[in-house]
Amino acid sequence: MLKNYFRIAWRNVIRHKAYTAINIIGLAIGIAACLLLFTVVKYELSYDKFQPNYDHIYHVASTRVNEEGTYYGEGVPFPAYDALRAQCPQAKTGAMFSNYNCQVTVLDPKDANAFSNKKFIEETGIFFSDPQIFSVFQYKWLIGSPDVLKAPNVAVLTKKMAEKYYGKWQSAIGGLIKLDNTATVKIAGVLEDIAVNTDFPLGVIASYETMKSYPNVYGYTTDFGNVTSSFQAFMLLPPNVSAEGINKLLVRFSNEHYNKGSKKNDKVYNFLQPLKEVHFDNRIGTFGNHITSKTTLWTLSLIGLFIIIMACINFINLATAQAVGRSKEVGIRKVLGSNRRQLFWQVIGETWIIVLTAIILASVIATICLPYIKNVASIEEKLSLLNLSTIGFMAALAVVVTLLAGTYPSLILSGFKPALALKNKITSATVGGISLRRGLVVTQFAISQVLIIGTIVAVSQMNFIRKADLGFNKEAVLVLNSNVDSSVNLRQPAFKQKLLSINGVKSVSFSSDVPSSESNNSGNFAFDHKPDEKFDIFRKFGDEDYFKTYGLQLVAGRIFTKSDTINEIVVNETLVKKLGIKTPADILGHVLRVNRNSWRTIVGVVKDFKTNSLRESVKPLMLAQRAKRYYFTGVKLTTSNLKQTQAEIEKVWNQFFPEYVYAPTFMDERINKFYEQENQLSLLYKIFAGIAILISCLGLYGLVSFMAAQRTKEVGIRKVLGASVANIIFLFSKEFTILILVAFAVAVPVAYYMMSNWLNNFAYKVSLSIWVFALAILSSVIIAWLTVGYKSIKAALSNPVKSLRSE
Amino acid sequence: MKHMIKITNLEKIYRTEEVETVALNKLNMDVKEGEFVAVMGPSGCGKSTLLNILGLLDEPDTGSFEFNGQEIAHYNERKRADIRKHNIGFVFQSFNLIDELTVFENVELPLIYTGVSTVERKKRVEEVLDKMQIMHRRNHYPQQLSGGQQQRVAVARAVVNKPKLILADEPTGNLDSSNGNEVMELLTDLNEHGTTIIMVTHSEHDARYSHRIIRMLDGQTVTENILV
Repeated sequence: MLKNYFRIAWRNVIRHKAYTAINIIGLAIGIAACLLLFTVVKYELSYDKFQPNYDHIYHVASTRVNEEGTYYGEGVPFPAYDALRAQCPQAKTGAMFSNYNCQVTVLDPKDANAFSNKKFIEETGIFFSDPQIFSVFQYKWLIGSPDVLKAPNVAVLTKKMAEKYYGKWQSAIGGLIKLDNTATVKIAGVLEDIAVNTDFPLGVIASYETMKSYPNVYGYTTDFGNVTSSFQAFMLLPPNVSAEGINKLLVRFSNEHYNKGSKKNDKVYNFLQPLKEVHFDNRIGTFGNHITSKTTLWTLSLIGLFIIIMACINFINLATAQAVGRSKEVGIRKVLGSNRRQLFWQVIGETWIIVLTAIILASVIATICLPYIKNVASIEEKLSLLNLSTIGFMAALAVVVTLLAGTYPSLILSGFKPALALKNKITSATVGGISLRRGLVVTQFAISQVLIIGTIVAVSQMNFIRKADLGFNKEAVLVLNSNVDSSVNLRQPAFKQKLLSINGVKSVSFSSDVPSSESNNSGNFAFDHKPDEKFDIFRKFGDEDYFKTYGLQLVAGRIFTKSDTINEIVVNETLVKKLGIKTPADILGHVLRVNRNSWRTIVGVVKDFKTNSLRESVKPLMLAQRAKRYYFTGVKLTTSNLKQTQAEIEKVWNQFFPEYVYAPTFMDERINKFYEQENQLSLLYKIFAGIAILISCLGLYGLVSFMAAQRTKEVGIRKVLGASVANIIFLFSKEFTILILVAFAVAVPVAYYMMSNWLNNFAYKVSLSIWVFALAILSSVIIAWLTVGYKSIKAALSNPVKSLRSE
Repeated sequence: MKHMIKITNLEKIYRTEEVETVALNKLNMDVKEGEFVAVMGPSGCGKSTLLNILGLLDEPDTGSFEFNGQEIAHYNERKRADIRKHNIGFVFQSFNLIDELTVFENVELPLIYTGVSTVERKKRVEEVLDKMQIMHRRNHYPQQLSGGQQQRVAVARAVVNKPKLILADEPTGNLDSSNGNEVMELLTDLNEHGTTIIMVTHSEHDARYSHRIIRMLDGQTVTENILV
């Protein structure tokens, strides 16, 4: 019997090639999309799960509550680490300091002072830590043990880094590396490579004691008021200790160390953030390269679900439409003794064959697309579909899709009354489900339109950001980066002069930071001899050419006079407003001081520029000079002969700072990097909205083909009675246009809700104007018309004599 | 001879929203084992409805239907399918072969539903195809055959399971006279070998092959002519 079912299923497939192709392609695209999304979501959910104590590890995060709101932070003050260990003895506490953008120079072990050209810029992966961290997180040691990190000036490497620096990891032991041209450390251990799905991308771990020896470079201090997001603490709780218990203890701890003498309405508290939330909570930063919120994962899963539902809808629509044509077969089978159950399983079996074919095709599509998706979703790991969970997912998908897509058509087909079926009295009206099919088409188009609206909003927001007025000129500014010590400071003036002598360099400025960046340097401040203000002031240090190089504009006063230390300051408009001062000119001549330093005079007000990414609003800011913090060199170029100019700049750099890696970036590239995740997300939206539209068009095309075939007689009669080609085309398009409009009414509120939530991530954003929705409906209608067009024109042009005779 | 079919006061009414059509109106009828009965009457007199009920494809509203002494008027679909596949063969005016299956596979189908083994199926299908002189077309599809050949396949399919009863609905309606006669000869031959046949027909010529003609009008039997 099974053989017979397969035979007839196969011949049905061959006989209705076009519909089968539509079914299989639609399902395959849907399943492939689903598979890819599953792979991405699974990868994100796997972060750090390889840690044996995953469920018992916590990050000591902090929250600050004041009148302006609640803020979250990831760092703890340096002294808090020792205090936590002393005051929470029941937990194991470890901490690490991430040294971002660190320069690693591999030295000759025989002569540490010899010049080495083996230098690398490591954006992430360089940490300072002590042995304690290895009692919280478990890593495999190839050589050495955590205890080696007790001493100053030692470091351990992961196998990958050891191979990068020394060729063979075994050769690394005893080697010397210099961090930031400052700290020379000896390699005393090698760790097995760490999985990429981690928020702790260890590469080099130098001892904590090393960092403590260079407070000027790494900012180590015993002051509880100084917090950096680069220094984070983690706890491993034994099974009998609850996080709630520790959290209560942390309230007392915070009151003792942070909140003594602070204002009533401004308190800071530490609390435990479970490791299993670290990768998903975008309020609190990590050491990893990205955070993926649960909302994003839900959105992606939902898109996957939507797409698979749409593919199933296509199948149901086509299969029920096709059912009429198969009524005779069902009738005959019933006459010959088949019962309903047998017929039901026969149709399910046929669905299964199609689904199976689609799954095979989907695996091919997914395998081809995997590397591309890997890039889009910034997954570093090599992804493969050949693993147990993905294969299990495919199997589950096959069963679910078969049942979802096959059940309704099977019920319809197996329910035909044989007496009617044999007399060809089964029509689409007797099959019923016309309203169901309409409902399904509406669902499909509603889903597509939500995705279309989402895409339009995401794309226009990203365009808005790209074109937004940042308040400074980001074009053609080359940014160079080095560490700063007295020797660097000493070389800087001559370096600047040399750069300025290059044809094509307009101006050069040294600074602690570029105008827009993701790092914040803020502190308490007081204005005009009054007590400290309730909000923090943000600081950027730059020389007198900072304004010229980045195109900053003054709205009042002047820039500071040249100096190597803070003498005068310039503030921004936001600060003026926040202090309640009416016009920028009114603040000139007043004084302010930061962190109980000396009082300085305000000499100018700079027009607001975007101090951070556009997700955040402009911060109250002060600009001053301080050569000790000049990590960055901004070089404003003319746009002609860029290549030549850059080559010359590199030459000058290597001449002045041979010990530093030349790693230039353009200012606009740096800014684009802020929005990498949003760009990726909007790209994902675009891809999957495209797939959704394609699937719904396939379905629509199939449905119209059937409608055209079924209504041949009607079209013939209408033409005989005088209908024009246009009338017939209108007849076909009318219904679908109405369905799309209904779908639009469903999609608008959903899309509006979703996208306004997404836009809330940005302080500066596009408005959800009526044009977004108008564009969505217009594009849907046009796409549908194009899809329906070919078939309806063909139907309209058919010869009525033929169509009537064939009846 | 013993009764195979005994129908008493059978009623079937089709209802739509506005119209009520009485298809069978308290119809009574008996058919004995081994009989060849022709049912005649004008269009709409209820012949096809009667045949559908006799073939267990449809159920009556009221009345009694005994098949081999068993009251089956209100059996559920499963039970009806079971009786049908073991006892009844059908021959239709429009042949009703499955276009996607070959001649062999079409004839094989009833045997599949009654669970006959593959080897046995092959033997019986070949036997019957041979008997119907259509063996050389066993791998052809219905569309590749003439009308007469298609009907021979349909008859082969109807008899392959050795049913006790064959229901024929205008079996020659779509055939020319020579093919028509051939089919009627086949049916007569089957009847002579013991199969009971009930045939609905418009053709007086075909009806003359039967033992008895039942004439219907407005859902009732009006006369009976015994020919043999």
